[in-house]
Amino acid sequence: MFGSTLFIISALLTLGGAFMVVASKNLVHACVFLLASLFGVAGLYATLGADFLAAIQLVVYAGGVVILMLFAIMLTGGSQDLSNKYGLNKIPGMGSVRTYIAGGLSALVISLVVLKILANVIKSAQVGELPEFTTTVEKIGTMLLTDHILAFEISSILLLGALIGAAVISRPRKG
Amino acid sequence: MNSVVSYFSQTEGYQAIVKTLSELLGFDATSLVAFIVFGAVVTIVVTVLATIGGLGTYAERKISADLQMRQGPNRVGPFGILQFLADGVKMILKEDIVPRQADRFLFNISPLLCLLGVFASLAVVPFSSGFTLVNLNVGIIYLLGVASIVGIGIFLGGYSSNSKWSMLGGMRGASQIISYEIPVTLSILAAVVIVGGLSFGAATEAQGGLPHQWLIFHNPFTFIAFFVLFIGSLAEANRAPFDLPEAESELVSGYHTEFTGMKFAFFALAEYIEVFVLCGVASALFLGGYKVPFDLGTGAIFSEKLGLHPMLAKNIGQLLQLGAFFTKALLLYYVVIWIRWTLPRLRVDHLMVLCWKYLTPIALFNLVGVAVWMYAFDGQSFFALIAKMGAAAGGHH
Amino acid sequence: MMTLASYLFISFALFAAGVAVIIARKNIIAMLLGIELMLNAAALNFAAYTRFLNNNYEGHIMSLFIIVIAAAEAAVGLAIVIRFFQIRDSIHVDDATQLQS
Repeated sequence: MFGSTLFIISALLTLGGAFMVVASKNLVHACVFLLASLFGVAGLYATLGADFLAAIQLVVYAGGVVILMLFAIMLTGGSQDLSNKYGLNKIPGMGSVRTYIAGGLSALVISLVVLKILANVIKSAQVGELPEFTTTVEKIGTMLLTDHILAFEISSILLLGALIGAAVISRPRKG
Repeated sequence: MNSVVSYFSQTEGYQAIVKTLSELLGFDATSLVAFIVFGAVVTIVVTVLATIGGLGTYAERKISADLQMRQGPNRVGPFGILQFLADGVKMILKEDIVPRQADRFLFNISPLLCLLGVFASLAVVPFSSGFTLVNLNVGIIYLLGVASIVGIGIFLGGYSSNSKWSMLGGMRGASQIISYEIPVTLSILAAVVIVGGLSFGAATEAQGGLPHQWLIFHNPFTFIAFFVLFIGSLAEANRAPFDLPEAESELVSGYHTEFTGMKFAFFALAEYIEVFVLCGVASALFLGGYKVPFDLGTGAIFSEKLGLHPMLAKNIGQLLQLGAFFTKALLLYYVVIWIRWTLPRLRVDHLMVLCWKYLTPIALFNLVGVAVWMYAFDGQSFFALIAKMGAAAGGHH
Repeated sequence: MMTLASYLFISFALFAAGVAVIIARKNIIAMLLGIELMLNAAALNFAAYTRFLNNNYEGHIMSLFIIVIAAAEAAVGLAIVIRFFQIRDSIHVDDATQLQS
């Protein structure tokens, strides 16, 4: 009962947040809704028994990415200033009815096709009995340092590269 | 279930209630009762912590008055202790002003985001072995995650006010919080390496009640890590000497310049509760948390020596643990206030230099040092090694 | 309620929202928001498949790497955006035309 309640809340948060990211005209609002959506995804991870992933999702997105995005918005003139020097000063309209109808129809068609393809997978899927409240941390840690050690090392090099690259790129050049 | 409900479910009355309710309602009422108990405990914790936050404002003013040879608040109630209630009434009665150019949605949501982050982090704070709301097995990462929502709230509060002071305060707050998260996380990881688990329960259980069993005295590296964590926590909670986001002499009052009434009160309350939570975390990770010396916390001694009922003895043990936790956390709280009224504020670039050039390398070095210590000495603490050496030296005679 | 299909549907909707953001917006930061949504949809899929198809936690590792890559991507992407703003005084994709022949 508790699990399905959490699932419904998280799903609503995820979908509502994602929709509002699309619909909101203000960039900072879109960032806040993105945060809501990512929190919903963290809740969904929790319902899937992936507690470590849920916590990492919270840390990386709430603590890192969203604040970074807000920072970038501030450093590039805030959300109000959407004009460019060619005079195009509006976000291309999302409000037209035709856009919604065409988008909705194509989404329907695509989802039907995808569901048709995935039907066998979904039918064969069973809820693997997860032991209640076991920790995935130990398992993931062991797997990261045994089977997936190469990917782990490469990702750490990638992060270091991203860190240095970001610092070098965004530094204003003198002279 | 690994939460406070499991503690209450040990009592006989709980089982009886579940049984009667199940018969009355016609279905298994276990989860319903668990939910009600959990909700009641959550209400209690939130109320108590809000009161502690309110008393924090009183303590701040009283201690600052003490340090400056003044009287401090002394009109409302005995020694002015009800001053925070008077402040609260004043806040509620104030006009709720939203600046015309402000971003209304963000302006309304940002104090709530601050409070949300702080109250969400209360879920994993280990008040005692039975009275932790949820003993999440990723509790430490969870706390780091939800605590950073406070930074977003501060940033959005500064942005949405549409005022230069607020904007500067919000920018400073956000940059400070994301910068200091790195040394804080690294020094928490130093504790995690020793404990071998990511839950606060495991971290506290790995320590003992007496100071030489605490993680801060486990080895020289954890001793440094504790101070890095404490300094970083001060910066994360925007406390002096790192209170640049609300530097009142430069920025009027920083990110909450434009907020009035309850919205301002929410910001203030969030700050004081966050300080308490961070003090609690520091004490749980490094200062033994809720552990009481000589195993008094389990209550086994009371039932053996004094012949008390086992459950009653257990409850007494829990109360002792709560007392130990709150004593440690409130002592740290006192130190935080003491620092605020002693040290001058840093400059912005000095703040960043302190974080990136000193604390982060020290924390990294510490993490490596702790790992090496764990490998070299097989996870034994400094005092255990000394005791062993003493025993070996004694053996030669 | 909590079946594989519902998780797949949520993930699909997230991905669609990300695509919609990228198509509809001309602001580079808004497009980065869309990319975050799409990456999350993929990560959610991996976690869901791991839960419902085989219970061996391989999908969690994959999701973890996706989160790592998303973080790196956000850092570098935003650095590029800031640099671009310093040069062009705009964060509009239509202004990034210097490499166009």
